[in-house]
Amino acid sequence: MGPFDAFWLATAVRLTAPLLFASTGELVSERSGILNVGLEGMMLSGAFFGFLTSYLTGSTVLGLLGGGLAGMSVAAVMAVLAINARADQVIVGIGLNILALGVTTFVFREVFAGPQVILERPGMVRIPLLADIPGIGSALFAQPLLVYLAFLNVPVVWFVLNKTSIGLAMRAAGEVPEAVDAAGSSAAGVRWFGTLTAGLLAGFGGAFLSLELGIFVEAMSSGKGFLALAAVIFGRWRPGGVLAACVLFGSADALQLRLQAESSVPVEVWVVLALVGPALVVVALSRRRRISAAGWVAAATGSAVFAALTVIQPDATLPNQLWRAMPFVVSLVALGGFAGRSRMPTALAVPYRRSSA
Amino acid sequence: VVARTLIVVLAPIVLAIAVSMVVIALAGAPPVEAMDALLNGAFGGKVQLARTISFMLPLTLVALGWIVAFTARRVNVGLEGQIVMGGIAAAGVGLYLGPWPAPVHLAVGMLAAAAAGMLYGGIAAWLWASRHVNEIISTLLLNLIALEIVGWLVRGPMHEAGTTFPRSEPIAETVRWPFVIPHTSLSWAIVLAPVAVVVIWFVLRRTTFGMSLRITGANRRAAEYAGIDTTKVTVIALLVSAGMAGITGGALILGGETGRLSDGFSASLGFEGIVVALVARNNPWGVLPAALLFAVLESGSGLMETRVGVAAEVVLITQGIVILIVAGAGFLLDRPAMVGRAADA
Repeated sequence: MGPFDAFWLATAVRLTAPLLFASTGELVSERSGILNVGLEGMMLSGAFFGFLTSYLTGSTVLGLLGGGLAGMSVAAVMAVLAINARADQVIVGIGLNILALGVTTFVFREVFAGPQVILERPGMVRIPLLADIPGIGSALFAQPLLVYLAFLNVPVVWFVLNKTSIGLAMRAAGEVPEAVDAAGSSAAGVRWFGTLTAGLLAGFGGAFLSLELGIFVEAMSSGKGFLALAAVIFGRWRPGGVLAACVLFGSADALQLRLQAESSVPVEVWVVLALVGPALVVVALSRRRRISAAGWVAAATGSAVFAALTVIQPDATLPNQLWRAMPFVVSLVALGGFAGRSRMPTALAVPYRRSSA
Repeated sequence: VVARTLIVVLAPIVLAIAVSMVVIALAGAPPVEAMDALLNGAFGGKVQLARTISFMLPLTLVALGWIVAFTARRVNVGLEGQIVMGGIAAAGVGLYLGPWPAPVHLAVGMLAAAAAGMLYGGIAAWLWASRHVNEIISTLLLNLIALEIVGWLVRGPMHEAGTTFPRSEPIAETVRWPFVIPHTSLSWAIVLAPVAVVVIWFVLRRTTFGMSLRITGANRRAAEYAGIDTTKVTVIALLVSAGMAGITGGALILGGETGRLSDGFSASLGFEGIVVALVARNNPWGVLPAALLFAVLESGSGLMETRVGVAAEVVLITQGIVILIVAGAGFLLDRPAMVGRAADA
């Protein structure tokens, strides 16, 4: 299996979890019509204030809640400005990201001026029986509790969005907010709910970053919020798609870490990469989606190049930046080549004024 | 009207500075002394003044780039990545081409930077125009890719031999902007700032293209009825916007003090420039004073940190609050012009 061993699997699962929290939150918010670019700032706030709470109380659970609450507070600012004041959502998001970076760094330096504070890392929870499956068992089912919560979160979000009345109202608010008001609910209220959910979950995701490592580092969200944003797009605004995107991004990140130790790229990696193109095509076709000429060309060249590399097996390493950038490139190609009309919520990022309805 | 505009522009800044002073006081430092240190760090001497003025250049160019795209109601949040690509192209010209006579080499470097920014922004423009991919999303992804590319170049192919710093060899002297005052950071690239303001103002306000751009932004459907090719106009706006960011990247490398390509040289200027444009209320003439304000914050925060022990990041808090106030309150004042953006993404 080369680099795709149990250790890689365990790392991939663990790196997927924080993304999953943040992007399911973003999914809920975007489906209700709020494009939350402040996700990065919400994660960073969750990471710092989760760490701070855990440090002050000595409890990881309270730390997690503190992180969620911090994310939610940032989201509340977002909601006031974007929903009530109808400010430009992208601009508010950028402002919140800068503000969160300033506040967390500033308070961190004030509170933790001395030597590096290291908290005890949360223990692994082994799931009986499942963890005993040979090979993958201990990789998948001996993880920190938060990892399970992150994955359990996906069916919950799916259920709420698709099977409950609040979910219906949210989806309506993202498509035709006027209809929500006409039906007697409040589009603004529904969007508030979506935004706060995004903040809470992004805060959890951020808290996961610091609590799982036991340390806080300045600006530690390091683009993960933007990555989660990309996962929602790549996942085409559906819970299952978002899950797949997060797993892909997390696996690529784990692979990148794994390959830093290798002297040349193992052949298994080329095989997997050669399969990415056909996989995208199959997914697109199974959904009866139009594939553009550019999409075909991109998929075919990609596969051909990697298939050639499988045969040649060059004795070379590739820069880890390339592995890190790969998910973004794949997202762009998928967006451009396989999009057709995207499933983006129609009213996404459009301020809604009730009186105009 | 002038008085009201002045209040609208100044109020968020005054408020943000007041909040920052409270934050500084809470941190246990004397706010007045901190302010004094900030101003000293920005204006206290030849070196400081030169640094402050040279900070204005990237902020001005990026803000103008934002304004051009936003006039068509497109949100180019990819300025950061376009700066990076411009810088890479300029450094490439400085490292691998030439040596040519100084003015030629410099001109080629700057043109390469502009072209690289445009090409990179062109990806997002093409995706928007022919694949209906929202430009906010594609440019954010392109930012992340660009940062990985520069991170790789300065550690890999362009890495300076014999150091562990993520940076390139120094670029050729012939490709660099001459300095206004020797041994400071102020190069003649600064003249691009006022020139760009005038050019962008002229293009937006005094040309047919600017007219069609503004109509497209104000009411896309009406513009189409009037026979304007809104897609073409918008794509050009996005390309010009990206080109401005590319030029910014070129100026940072070719007009910078270090004369090398390094990791993180873009330093989030692509986002800070957006803030400048907002404070200037998307008016090209407002960009210079707004850029000065942010240049002062940027330039003076270092001395504030060393002298009164307040983390320089307090400046980020000020910036963040300015954006939020401008975004929230500004839209209350001139709502009609702002409604309906991004609906047709």
